[in-house]
Amino acid sequence: MSNLNPDTNREFDVIGKRIPKLDAAQKAMGRAEYIQDIKLPGMLFGKILYCKYAHASIVKIDTSKARALAGVHAVLTGQDVPKKMKMGFYKDNPPIKKGKVCSFRDEVAAVAAISPEIAKKALDLIEIEYEELPGIFDPEKAMEKDSPLVHEYHKSNVLKLPWKLHYGDVEKAEKESDFVVEEKFTTQWVTHCCLGTSGAIALFDSNDNLTIHTNTQIPSLAQKDFLESLKAMGLENKRVRVIKPIIGGGFGSKLDTYAYEHIAILLAYACRKPVKIMFDRVEEFKATSTRQPTVIYIKQGCDKNGKLTFRDMRMILDNGAYTSWGATTPSVMMMPITSLYRVDNVKYNAKCVYTNNTYSQAMRGYGNPQATFAIESTLDMLAQKAGIDRVEIRRLNRNQPGDVTPQGFKISSCGLSECIDEVEKELTIDGPKEKGIGTGIASLIHVGGGARIYKSDGCGAILKMDDYGKVDIFTGGTDMGQGLDNITAQIVAEELGLFVEDINVVHSDTDVCPWDVGAHASRSTFVAGNAALGAAKKVKETILEYGSKLLDADPKNLVLKDRTIFVLDDPEKSMPIDKLLRKAHFSPQGKMLMADFFYDPDNENMGKEFKGNMSVTYAFGAHGVKVKVDEETGKVKVLDYVAAHDVGRAINPLLLEGQVYGGVVMGLGYALTEEVVTKDGQNMNANFRDYKLFTAKDAIRIKAPVVETYDEYGPFGAKGIGEPGCVPTAPAIANAIYDAVGVRIFDLPITPEKVLAALKEKKSATTKI
Amino acid sequence: MRLPKFNYLGPKTLDEALDLLDTYKDDAKILAGGTDLLVRMKKGLLKPKVLISLKALNELSYIKKQSGFIKIGARTPLADIIDSDLIQKEAKALFQACKKIGAISIQHFRGTIGGNILQDNRCHHYNQSDFHRSGRQACHKDGGKICYAREEADRCNSTCQSDGATALMALGADITLVSKSNERTIDLADFYTTDGIMPHACESNELLKEIIIPVFGAHSSYQRLAYRSAIDYPIVCAGVLLKPSLKNEIAEARIVVGAMGRSPLFLAQISSSLKGKKLNDTIAFKKAADASMDSSATFAVHNVGATLEYRCSMVSQMVFQALEQTAETIKA
Amino acid sequence: MATNISFLLNGDKISYEIKDHWTLLHLLREEMGLIGTKEGCGNGECGACTVIVDKLAINSCLYLAIDADEKIIETIEGLASTDGTLHPLQQSFVDNGGIQCGFCSPGMIMSSKALLDENPKAGHEEIKHALAGNICRCTGYVQILDSVEAARDKGGQNE
Repeated sequence: MSNLNPDTNREFDVIGKRIPKLDAAQKAMGRAEYIQDIKLPGMLFGKILYCKYAHASIVKIDTSKARALAGVHAVLTGQDVPKKMKMGFYKDNPPIKKGKVCSFRDEVAAVAAISPEIAKKALDLIEIEYEELPGIFDPEKAMEKDSPLVHEYHKSNVLKLPWKLHYGDVEKAEKESDFVVEEKFTTQWVTHCCLGTSGAIALFDSNDNLTIHTNTQIPSLAQKDFLESLKAMGLENKRVRVIKPIIGGGFGSKLDTYAYEHIAILLAYACRKPVKIMFDRVEEFKATSTRQPTVIYIKQGCDKNGKLTFRDMRMILDNGAYTSWGATTPSVMMMPITSLYRVDNVKYNAKCVYTNNTYSQAMRGYGNPQATFAIESTLDMLAQKAGIDRVEIRRLNRNQPGDVTPQGFKISSCGLSECIDEVEKELTIDGPKEKGIGTGIASLIHVGGGARIYKSDGCGAILKMDDYGKVDIFTGGTDMGQGLDNITAQIVAEELGLFVEDINVVHSDTDVCPWDVGAHASRSTFVAGNAALGAAKKVKETILEYGSKLLDADPKNLVLKDRTIFVLDDPEKSMPIDKLLRKAHFSPQGKMLMADFFYDPDNENMGKEFKGNMSVTYAFGAHGVKVKVDEETGKVKVLDYVAAHDVGRAINPLLLEGQVYGGVVMGLGYALTEEVVTKDGQNMNANFRDYKLFTAKDAIRIKAPVVETYDEYGPFGAKGIGEPGCVPTAPAIANAIYDAVGVRIFDLPITPEKVLAALKEKKSATTKI
Repeated sequence: MRLPKFNYLGPKTLDEALDLLDTYKDDAKILAGGTDLLVRMKKGLLKPKVLISLKALNELSYIKKQSGFIKIGARTPLADIIDSDLIQKEAKALFQACKKIGAISIQHFRGTIGGNILQDNRCHHYNQSDFHRSGRQACHKDGGKICYAREEADRCNSTCQSDGATALMALGADITLVSKSNERTIDLADFYTTDGIMPHACESNELLKEIIIPVFGAHSSYQRLAYRSAIDYPIVCAGVLLKPSLKNEIAEARIVVGAMGRSPLFLAQISSSLKGKKLNDTIAFKKAADASMDSSATFAVHNVGATLEYRCSMVSQMVFQALEQTAETIKA
Repeated sequence: MATNISFLLNGDKISYEIKDHWTLLHLLREEMGLIGTKEGCGNGECGACTVIVDKLAINSCLYLAIDADEKIIETIEGLASTDGTLHPLQQSFVDNGGIQCGFCSPGMIMSSKALLDENPKAGHEEIKHALAGNICRCTGYVQILDSVEAARDKGGQNE
């Protein structure tokens, strides 16, 4: 580990320690309760009927037979959904569709019954007459004038979204460039594949207040969505309580609310009983959202020395039939486009286009992997054209602390250069070549200190201490397996001189936890961490105040350590913290120690020109990979992988490595094997056999060197690391394949057949010459 | 995901099982390991009224060598085959094939060799959920008149992706089928109907009892291509058998290509073209491999994931690798 | 049809009236309330439902409950000691970061246990092979493999 800041050599008791995940033992024993495991008294089972066409008018729905079936409590169709009940930020998605359907995942009816079997049987009894309409599945074709419209009322398939920026003068810079590369890239649909499928249980109390147990990464924003649904249902001024069970994987999939959650609410209200909707694996594949697929046109140039002169990118995004966060991924794509390496002249525009395909959502990296694939692939091509070493061009153009990028990002700390060093240390990028073996490198920038894409980027924390020296901290942040519970506990324990086991982290219930914008943008360690730290500091102040009285010492001379408060220059003078707490409590006008803190980072909303310091700090990294390409089959084998990340400070190296390893392998799937295969809008591989995740047998050893830059704004110097691991994987692989066998693949995933076809084409081109 | 209702019958002897099979015929399915059958039932591809379990029939689980033949009971778990020195030495292609099937916890302990041979043909248009299939006209295999894999095809083009069958056919295996009133032993190659809907020539009252592999001084190899190292069916596979003469020439050859057609494809003509060739005649191997590609390409349709072009070109690769590997073993 | 079966579950003798079409997973989870065994796919493709039957790791979603008659069955609930001490494999998964979201963990641990019970010296490749049917989306398998290797190297000293 390299440490760039000599002032940070302070010894910590808890920070920087490999403390196992706090809930790991529960999980290892099979005691953790996921939504799958929760049963409520009197609970009914909801099921959703999906449509059978990618695009069709609903001529007639007859639910009478389903209603007549014994055990059925409610049957809903689009007619039963209040007009204003619509999901997504574009508000184009009613939870049950009416009049027409626009994709295979469209919900057309829902049932609640006393058993899942009866609910399924009831669905089979619903008779629907459709009139098929011509579908449109290619976003570029959907932009053509005479293309069928997905939503007639929208008048165009192109969404009215503002993704456009131009800084500097790209046209001029292009003219003045010595070398220019221009290419087209395409990226596919991939999906989160959380091992625990989606589900929710909704129930109303006698005053029509809603409680919903649901898998979510955004308890507070989900609460807002559900409140809006209640309002649409005519339930004004009601309360919504969101309870999040332990989540079987998130990765962005739970960043928006889904139709099944709103349907569970409608059914629960119709029956006045708890209703549970639980997805099976096929439903999980077909009815949850994917990573945003893209068509990318890119032009990049440099001068004769290799200095980047401009970057010009245009994208077309298949929006699918409805709009969720996938359509906003350009806001994050802008980050690598404007700010990965120093480049003064940048232009970008993206169009999101309605099609009759599935719609996309947030997924780890949020658009960054797509953009970085194009940027880092063409950077290698540019280096080759300019005759400059691949590593050298990256060093030459690297971001540096103090930079302000064209988009207005203020780079506070930056370990990109050190990350490249680490990659080179672990892997010889430009060594002697063996046949079929090659290396590749690619870098990344990502938000590491929050991301102000909502009105608030804040997170609240409430901390209370009991008479025994134990802490309960209620955080707005969400743990979904990544380890925010540990980060919170470690920060609080360090600050208050306690042990991690003294800290109970509550992060699962909007009735008791304060507001947070959600577990996204790799923001939780930074934002929720700072919130917890803020609350701990406030309590610490009170402890020191009491300590100063009880120990008769200057508060500045007091230290909290090992559950004890003592005087720094007279350590004999000390008191156990729990004793201090009791003394504070059981005295006249007694006091229990509590504090709250709301941390909203000092970052900026991007204005109309998309300028502003979106994040307080930025995370950097570089990945290096060595591959072997089988020239007979086109199969690519990863031999060695190095993922070096600037993390500010590693609060918990064990969990940090877990984020990097997991991110890299998710990135490898994106690069090599994963794809949601569709045929005219229909998902054709909705199972783990045909959707090719890496198996343990395909697993590789990964080196994950950590670069600590100690960010001045991060809690104990930390930055976010949730997403970066999967960002530069695909271009690193593509660059390594080119290095190995001289073919470049522009279309993800890089399957053996694409490699082989490219090799054949190359061979025939050489023979012609 | 729940199974549809059925009655479970657990005969204690083979005769009892055959009696039951004779009574229920098409209403019954034989349950061995269940790793293929139960998945199909969960997807609603099959709705048998009864399952006749072979659980108690230990008499169908054995691997033995008997007068020049290896005999394998149909209910033998794949794990036993992988662990068998006899199979490793004398029927290497089968060993290699079984090792590649599924994943250890799924197929190896539960999956049986009989089940692997009898696994139904697959097609990514057919192996879908109930609901997916209900949203369109039924395909041939689903009882309809359409093929989604090949436009205007008047028959089902599903593909046999059995690793075991491809290897066994290369080994020249026979199989024994028994019913209440009859027992017959046939060449495995004759077991296939070339009908994608009902790929196996097995009467509804018949049960696969035994696999018989001749041992006659030949060597074999099995090669397959899949995207992953586990939980994957082959997108192309090849089994090869070569018997050397005293002069170290090829006295007999068998090339079988799997995962391309409705059954494993035994390429008799191409196989015999190798007769008399030297064991190090790579040019002859390459020629045979290319011919195998041309020959099997006519059977294949785009229905198991990878593109058809790719799968075809990989036939040549797999056959060539299998030939080379077999020749290497002989030389060693 | 209903049938009565008896089996040994985590050392306890159990007698249960089951239906023919129940899977072992259904019996454990839905009927007996043993939520530790997870359903990730229902088709034997993910391994979340792995339990040990007569020393072999199997997918309980493709194993009929009726076939559990007379068998010795181990599930994740049976691994820790009654005094709360974790099984060395469980402890190793905890200590080495083998658990993130935790949904694959019970199955992963059961597959590992079946392997190490059979072969306490299993090598890296053997471990990868034994876990090939257990899908994990969080860890990239790195720390899971570390966990199993660390447990193997300790050789059950915690027991």
